[in-house]
Amino acid sequence: MVTPDYIKQLITASLPCTHIVVEGDDGTHFSAVIVSAEFSGRNRVQQHQLVYKALGDRMRDEIHALSMKTFSPQEWAEQQG
Amino acid sequence: MSIQDTIRETVTSNPVVLFMKGSPTFPQCGFSARAVQIIKACGIAKFAAIDVLQDPEIRQGIKEFSSWPTIPQLYIKGEFIGGSDIMTELYQNGELQKMLEGVAAE
Repeated sequence: MVTPDYIKQLITASLPCTHIVVEGDDGTHFSAVIVSAEFSGRNRVQQHQLVYKALGDRMRDEIHALSMKTFSPQEWAEQQG
Repeated sequence: MSIQDTIRETVTSNPVVLFMKGSPTFPQCGFSARAVQIIKACGIAKFAAIDVLQDPEIRQGIKEFSSWPTIPQLYIKGEFIGGSDIMTELYQNGELQKMLEGVAAE
């Protein structure tokens, strides 16, 4: 069964993240909050595309749904503030 | 015409296009249902809804078209806007309403 930890490993293996939380316990539906410097200067679509790229074919084969919120470190700081 | 050309024509000849699972009346997936709700909440009563479950070629082709592996996908005036997460975010901060303003009248 796909676990949140597995997804977290897949993402962080190719996308350096300063903060990442993945949740979901039914094996197919997950939600994630991801902060990465790679997101800086990219719009939301491009940010999510980077995460999908990190997940590759697994997004199609194993993960039914991944709901995500992505932030650059600056956006994240504003969000927290 | 290739499937990519067909998709390009669909998104450029209709001001608002939603690729979804099922129909606006009978969505087959919670994320598609949410996308329809958001568009309607923005005051758009009429939009082009493409049911990808009816056509495996479009279902695969749309993912390549946008480099986006999931459905639903929203297009406004030919531009890919995002999936249901991004639609929710844009709706909550009021940006989607602005993007759709005036589009309905066209």
